[in-house]
Amino acid sequence: MTGFAELAAATHFSFLRGASSPGNMVRRAVELGHHGIGIADRNTVAGVVQAHVALRELKEEQPDLRFKLAVGARLVFADGTPDIIAYPATRRGWGRLTRLLTLGNRRAEKGDCTLGFDDLAGLHDDLLLILMPPPTGPVPRLADLAALAPRRCWLAADMPRGGADRRRLARLATLAQAQGVPLLAVNAPLYAAPEQRRLHDILTCIAQKTVLAEAGRRLLANAERHLKAGAEMARLFAGQDAALHASRTILDRIDFSLDQLRYEYPHEPIPPGHSPQGWLETLTLQTARKRWPEGLPPKLQALLVEEFRIIAKAGYAPYFLTVHDIVQFAQGRGILCQGRGSAANSAVCYVLGITAVDPAKHNLLFSRFISEERKEPPDIDVDFEHERREEVMQYIYARYGRDRAAIAATVIHYRPRSAVREVGKVLGLSEDVTTRLTSTVWGSFASHMEQQRITESGFDPQAPEIARLADLVGQIMGFPRHLSQHVGGFVLTQDRLDETVPIHNAAMPDRTFIEWDKDDIDALGLMKVDVLALGMLSCIRKAFALVETHIGRQLTLDNIPDTDTAVFDMLCRGDSIGVFQVESRAQMNMLPRLRPREFYDLVIQVAIVRPGPIQGDMVHPYLRRRQGRERVEFPSPAPPHDPDELRHVLGKTLGVPLFQEQAMKLAITAANFTPSESNQLRRAMATFRNIGTMQHFEAKMVGGMVARGYDADFAQRCFNQIKGFGSYGFPESHAIAFARLVWVSSWLKHHYPAIFAAALLNSQPMGFYAPAQIVRDARDHGIAVRPVDINFSGWDNSIEGEALRLGLRQITGFREAWADAIITARPFDSVETLARHAGLPPRALRLLADADACGSLGLDRRSAAWEALRTPVGELPLFAAASARELGAEPDADLPLLTPGEQVAADYQTIRLSLKGHPMALLRGHFAGAGVLSCGEAAIARNGRRVAVAGVVLIRQRPGKGNAIFVTIEDESGVANIVIWARLFDIFRRPIMAARLMQIEGEVQRSPEGVVHIMASRIIDRSALLDRLSDTHDANPPLARADEDLQQPSRYPGGRARHPRDVRILPKSRDFH
Amino acid sequence: MAVDGQALAAGLAPGMRLADARARVPELLAQPHDPAADAALLEWLADGCDRYTPMVMAVPPHGLVLDITGCAHLFGGEAALVDDLVTRLARLGLTAWPALAATPDAALALARHQADCIDDLPIAALELPEASELALRRAGLLTIGRVARQHMPALAARFGEALPHLLARLSGAIAVPVTPRRPPAPVEVERRFAAPLTQVEAALAAIEALVVRAGLLLTERAEGGRRFDVALFRSDGHVARLVVETAAPVRDPAVLIRLLRERIGALADPIDPGFGFDLIRLMVPVTAPLAAQQLQLEGGSLADSEVGALVDRLGARLGRGRVRRLVAADSHIPEQAAFELPLGDAATGAAWTVAAPGEPPLRPVTLFDPPQIIQVIAEVPDGPPRRFRWRRQTHDVVRHEGPERIAAQWWRRADGAGLTRDYYRVEDSNGRRFWLFRHGLYGSEKPDPGWYLHGLFA
Repeated sequence: MTGFAELAAATHFSFLRGASSPGNMVRRAVELGHHGIGIADRNTVAGVVQAHVALRELKEEQPDLRFKLAVGARLVFADGTPDIIAYPATRRGWGRLTRLLTLGNRRAEKGDCTLGFDDLAGLHDDLLLILMPPPTGPVPRLADLAALAPRRCWLAADMPRGGADRRRLARLATLAQAQGVPLLAVNAPLYAAPEQRRLHDILTCIAQKTVLAEAGRRLLANAERHLKAGAEMARLFAGQDAALHASRTILDRIDFSLDQLRYEYPHEPIPPGHSPQGWLETLTLQTARKRWPEGLPPKLQALLVEEFRIIAKAGYAPYFLTVHDIVQFAQGRGILCQGRGSAANSAVCYVLGITAVDPAKHNLLFSRFISEERKEPPDIDVDFEHERREEVMQYIYARYGRDRAAIAATVIHYRPRSAVREVGKVLGLSEDVTTRLTSTVWGSFASHMEQQRITESGFDPQAPEIARLADLVGQIMGFPRHLSQHVGGFVLTQDRLDETVPIHNAAMPDRTFIEWDKDDIDALGLMKVDVLALGMLSCIRKAFALVETHIGRQLTLDNIPDTDTAVFDMLCRGDSIGVFQVESRAQMNMLPRLRPREFYDLVIQVAIVRPGPIQGDMVHPYLRRRQGRERVEFPSPAPPHDPDELRHVLGKTLGVPLFQEQAMKLAITAANFTPSESNQLRRAMATFRNIGTMQHFEAKMVGGMVARGYDADFAQRCFNQIKGFGSYGFPESHAIAFARLVWVSSWLKHHYPAIFAAALLNSQPMGFYAPAQIVRDARDHGIAVRPVDINFSGWDNSIEGEALRLGLRQITGFREAWADAIITARPFDSVETLARHAGLPPRALRLLADADACGSLGLDRRSAAWEALRTPVGELPLFAAASARELGAEPDADLPLLTPGEQVAADYQTIRLSLKGHPMALLRGHFAGAGVLSCGEAAIARNGRRVAVAGVVLIRQRPGKGNAIFVTIEDESGVANIVIWARLFDIFRRPIMAARLMQIEGEVQRSPEGVVHIMASRIIDRSALLDRLSDTHDANPPLARADEDLQQPSRYPGGRARHPRDVRILPKSRDFH
Repeated sequence: MAVDGQALAAGLAPGMRLADARARVPELLAQPHDPAADAALLEWLADGCDRYTPMVMAVPPHGLVLDITGCAHLFGGEAALVDDLVTRLARLGLTAWPALAATPDAALALARHQADCIDDLPIAALELPEASELALRRAGLLTIGRVARQHMPALAARFGEALPHLLARLSGAIAVPVTPRRPPAPVEVERRFAAPLTQVEAALAAIEALVVRAGLLLTERAEGGRRFDVALFRSDGHVARLVVETAAPVRDPAVLIRLLRERIGALADPIDPGFGFDLIRLMVPVTAPLAAQQLQLEGGSLADSEVGALVDRLGARLGRGRVRRLVAADSHIPEQAAFELPLGDAATGAAWTVAAPGEPPLRPVTLFDPPQIIQVIAEVPDGPPRRFRWRRQTHDVVRHEGPERIAAQWWRRADGAGLTRDYYRVEDSNGRRFWLFRHGLYGSEKPDPGWYLHGLFA
C-alpha cells in the first residue's frame, strides 16, 4: 500500500481532452497499486458508470481487491473561477452534483455547460470540493471556497515538470496553510500511460481545429500527464507527505457508490387509492372482459394468473402501467403502434393492447421476458408511426415533466471513417487521401482499419505517414466524440431525474436527454421505455386513409382478412417490393423456396433469413423438410421420459430450432435447465465475452441431454445450432409481431397496388428500396405513373383514378409550403403566373423547371428553366391587382434539345427516378456490342452458362460472416442477383465497393425453385459510362435508397472539378453489412 | 502543388497536397513554391518581349499580352512574330500557348482554352459566377458562339448586363487596351545622351544630377520617396536596373547619392557600360508625404530616423534581406521558439513568453545552436546536475531549478519517438548561470543520457 490515490483523473469523456477510457484508467490504477481513483471529467459524469462497471468486473476477478472508486465531476466555470473537482460524499451529494450539472447544461447550447461559482454555492452540500489552481499566477476563489465549505475543501497541487514546480508547490502550500485548507497531491492525468501522449496530441489538435505542424504550444510540452506510481508521486512531493495522504482522507469520507442509486417508477398511471399491482390486475381484467365478452380463454386466463404472480413478486406493475399509458395515448390519437420484441411473450401486454400477439395461441414463454431470478428490469419496446412519434414523445414530457423524463444518451464513437478523416487531417493529409483510404471500408461500423484496406486504396502501408495514421486510428477507434440522444429510449422516474443523472438539451428543439447510455442504464438497473419509430406503420396508416378516400373502405390493423390465397401466391412469386421485412433480396429469394401458405409461414420467413439460423445451418434442413425431401423426425429420450417431448418444442418448425425461445425450451425440456438457467444461456449466447461460461453450458446441455437418453451426436448438434444463434436469432414473439405487419402490407400491395405505392412514397425515407424501384415495381404491375406537374401534383403522391400521380415531395429540396402555395393558386398558364400567383422564390421555380414539372404548360425542362431565369422574384405591389403579364414576348431562344441521356440524368438528379427511360437502355448499344446480356436475358439463360451482365448497383450486402457478398444490379429489363465469394472480393474490392455501374462476368446458377444467381468471376467498374450520358447533369445511378451509415466513396480524384451542388451524390445503392 | 510532366504521368495533379503526393509517390522530388520567383520570371519574360512592342502586359500567374498593332511587319508579319517568340521561349525550356485576337481578352481566352475561334470557346471562358454558368450549361448553351447568338436583352434579363458586356469584350466589340506593365511613376526624370556614356563614373554623375532633379520635384510635392529605380538603357538593348528602398520617405540628394553609391559598391556584378548607356531614367514609384523638417531643439527625437538611416545604409550595403530581427515562434522546442526575419518584413510571430512579474526568466539570453556537449555528474534517474565540465572547465553547481521537461516532436520523426529533454537552470560557485539539459529519460528512453549546455543567462 503506497498510500496514494489519484483524485483528479480525466477520461475520454472529457471529450478531446482525455485519452484513455474510464475502464483503462481504473485498471491502470489497480495495476499501480493505488488504493483508489477519483474519476472527474469536465462537467460530466458520462464516464463514471463505465469506471464503476470496470471496477465491479475487476472485483469479480480478484475478490480481495481493496480499491475505492470515487465518482464525481470536474466543474469548469464560465466566470473565471478555477476548476473545482466535486466528489459526492453521500447519495444526497450525488443529487446535488447532478442537479448542478443539469443547471449548467440546460442553460447552455447543446453540448456545453455554463456554470458560475454562485451555482455551486447554491448546491454544494455533501460535496467534497478540490480546487484546481491555474498553472501560474494567483489562486482566485480559494478563500470563498474555504468559507463556503469549511473542512470539505482541498487545494490541489501538481508537479507537471514545468521548470518551477518546487517554487510553485511551496507557494501553494503557503497559500493553503494561510486559508486553513489542506493540500492534495495530484497529477491530474489525462491518460493512463505515457505512451498515450501522441494520441493526446492528436485529440488536442482535433479540439483546437489545427494540425500537428502548427499546433505549437497548444500541445502539452511533455508526456507527464499520465497515472503515476505511488513511489514516483512520493518522490515528486517529497516533503509534502500530508498532501500525499490527503487522498486517503478524501476517499475515507466518501460514502457513496453508484450502487446506491435506487429506482422508483412514476406513480402517474395509478389512480389514487390503488396499489400498482391491484390496479394492473383490475385494468387487465376489465379490458379482458371488454375484449372477450363471452369469457377469457382458459389458457390465457392461466397465463395471466401466472404473470400476475411474477410481476407482483418483482414489483414491475408500474412499468406495465406506464407503457400502457403511453400506448393508450397513441391509440387515442389514431397513431398506429405495436409492441415488438420479447414483450410479445406477455399475456398482460397482449390483453392491454400493448402487443398484438396472443402468447397462449403461440405457446410463448413469459420467462423470456421476465424471469423471477433475473434482477434486470423488463424491456418493452413499442413501435410507433415514424412520422408521428414526436407527438408521443412530447406527451411523455408533458405527462411526467422534464425533470422526471428524458431520453437516454447515445455515445457517438469514432468509427474508421471519422477516425481516418480527423486523424489524417491532423497529420496533414488531405480529405482526398483520407477519403480514398476509407473508400474500401465496408460500412461505418467496422471496428478496425485493416492494413489490407490501405494497400487496396493504393497506398503503401509501410510509408511512414500511412503507418502512423493507421496506428493512431487504431488507438482512437471507439473513443466517444460526443453524446447524442438515443433513438427513443425514455427514462422515467418518480423522483427528480436530475438527482440521479444530469440532463442535457438535445439538438432537436423540445428534447432533453440524460448523460448515460443504454448500457449504463442497464448496468445501474434503471428502467427505460423504448419509443421506437417504424416507417411501415406510417405507410400503413397512409394507405388506410387513401383506401378510405378513394375506395370508401375502412381498414384497421385488425379487420384485414387473415387469409387470402392470392396474397400468398404473390409472395410465393417473390413479388414483395415494399412489403415489410420480406422485401430484401435475400428474403425475396427465400420466398419461392419457402412458399408461405399461412400466417405462421410468414413468422418463419421473417425469422429464417437471419444471420443466426443461417450460421447455425438451420435454413437448409428446414427447407428440405418443408419440401418433403427429408423426413421430419424428433429424436426421443429414453424412457420414462415423454418420447414426444421434442415434438412439443420443435413441432412448429419441423424439428429445426429457429427461434431463441426454442433454444431455451430445448434446454429446459431436453437438458433439465431451469428457466432461469436457460435465460443465462441466452445471455451467454448474446455476449461473446464469457467464453468460459459458454463451455460450462455446453457441458451442461450436452450432458443433460445424454443423461436423458438422447444420442450424444444429436445433443452436440443441437448445441452447435444454438451457439450459432448468438444475438442474431429472433425471439418467436418478435417474429410474430413483425409477421403481422408483413401480412398487412402484403395484403395492401396485392389489393391496392397504386395506393400502396403512393403510401410508400409518401412515407419515405423508409424500407429497403428507393422511390425509383417503388415506381418501377408499380409500373411493372400495370399502374400508370404520371409525372410531377405544377397543375396536377399535390405535395404527396396521389391517386388519379387507377393511376399514380407523383407528388411535389419527390423533388429533392422542395418544400411543403411551396407546394401548398401552388395548390392554392393554380391553374397556371405560364411560368410567370406560377411565380406571381404562388409567390414562389427563384429556387422553387428552378427546382420545378429542372424537375420537368411544367409539362402542362407545354414547356420542357430546358425551356421552363430558361423562362424561370427571367421571372422576377415575388409580386410587385403595383401589379398585384392587375396580375397581368408583365414580361414582354421574346424571340424564340432556340435552345438545343436535350438528349435522352440528358433527360434521364436530369430526372434522376431532380426526382431520383425517371419515367422516361433507364440509364442502361441508353447505354445498351455500348454493351450489346461487347456481348453483355441484359438482366432479363441472363435470367432465362441456361444453368451453368458463362455470361456477362451489367447494370446499376442497387444493393451491396455482406451478411453474417461475410463469406459471400451479394450485389443486386438493375437494368431496363429487370434485376440480376450476383454472388461474389470473399476470395474474389479481395481481388475486386474497389470495383465491388465503388462501382455505380457494374459489369459482371460469371456463371448462371439456377436453383430448383427457379431462383437465378450469377456466380461472379470478374467484376469491372463501368461507372465512367454514366458520366457520358450528360454533360450538364450528374447521372449517378440513383436507384436504391441511401444507407445513411455508408457513404459512397467519392469520385476518383483528378476528375473534372464540379460545383458541390452538381457533384452531389444522388441516391446511392443500399449497402448492408 | 504544381506538377511537371513526369509527375503528371505518375498520377499526381496540380492542386494536390504535398503530404498526399508523398503518400502516393514516396520518391517524389518537391520544391517549395516561390511565387515571387514566378512573378520575377514573368516580369523578366515581359522585359524580353519589349523587343517586339512597348505595350507588354503581364497577366499573372502565367500570361503575357503583347499589343503588336503596327509592330508585326517589323518581324515579317504576325505569324512570323509568333513563331519567333515561341521559339525563343522554347529555348528557355518554356512551353507557350500563343493566340492572336483582336482584343487582349479574346487573345487570353483563346490561349487559355486552346481554342481556334471565339465561337468555339467554352462558356467557362466568360468566367461567370458559378450559378450563371450552371444555368447556361443547363440551357444547353455550352459555347460562346451559342450564347452570342441569343437575343442580348434576353440574356441581360437573366444574367444581368455583365454578360453582354463580357461577350462584347471577348468578341472585340469592346476593347480594353493593354495596360503597360510599369505604371508611370509619380516622379520620373530621365536624360538621353546623344553619345552613349561608356564610363561608369560618367553614368554615376548623370544619376546624381537626376537625383537632384527628382529631389526638387519631391520637395514641390511635399513628399519623399520610399523607392528609387534607376534604369540604365544600354544601346544594345540590355537594361541595367538599380533599386534602393528606404525605411522612411527620403528626398535629400546627399542621402540618396550615398545610398546609391553603396548599392553600386555592393553589387555582385558591377555595372557594365558595354557599348555605352544612351538613356538613364530615375523613377520614384513609391512616395509618401514628407513635410519640410526641422531639427527639434531638444534633440534626440530623431533617434528613430537615425535607426532608420542605419538600417537603410546597412540594407543598401549588405542587401535588405540580410538585416534581420528575431521573431517568436509557437514551439516548445527552445531552438525553434524564435527565428530570424528580414527587418523590413512586417510578419509578426507568436507572442514572446514573458515571465510573470517577480519571476526569473525561464529562457536564457544566449542560446547555443547547436547545444554544446558537456560532461555532467548527476543522480539517476532524474536528479539535477551536481558538477559539469564545459570548455575544459569544471563548474560546481550550487543552485538549481528544474527539471523543465520538454518532449520531442514525435510527428516530425520517422520512428515517431525522439528523446525527451530535462532542462535545469543552474548557478555555479562563481555565480554564473547556465541552462543545461539531459537528453533522454534515464532508463525508459536511453540507458545513459547525454548532457548539453544550451544557453547562458546574463
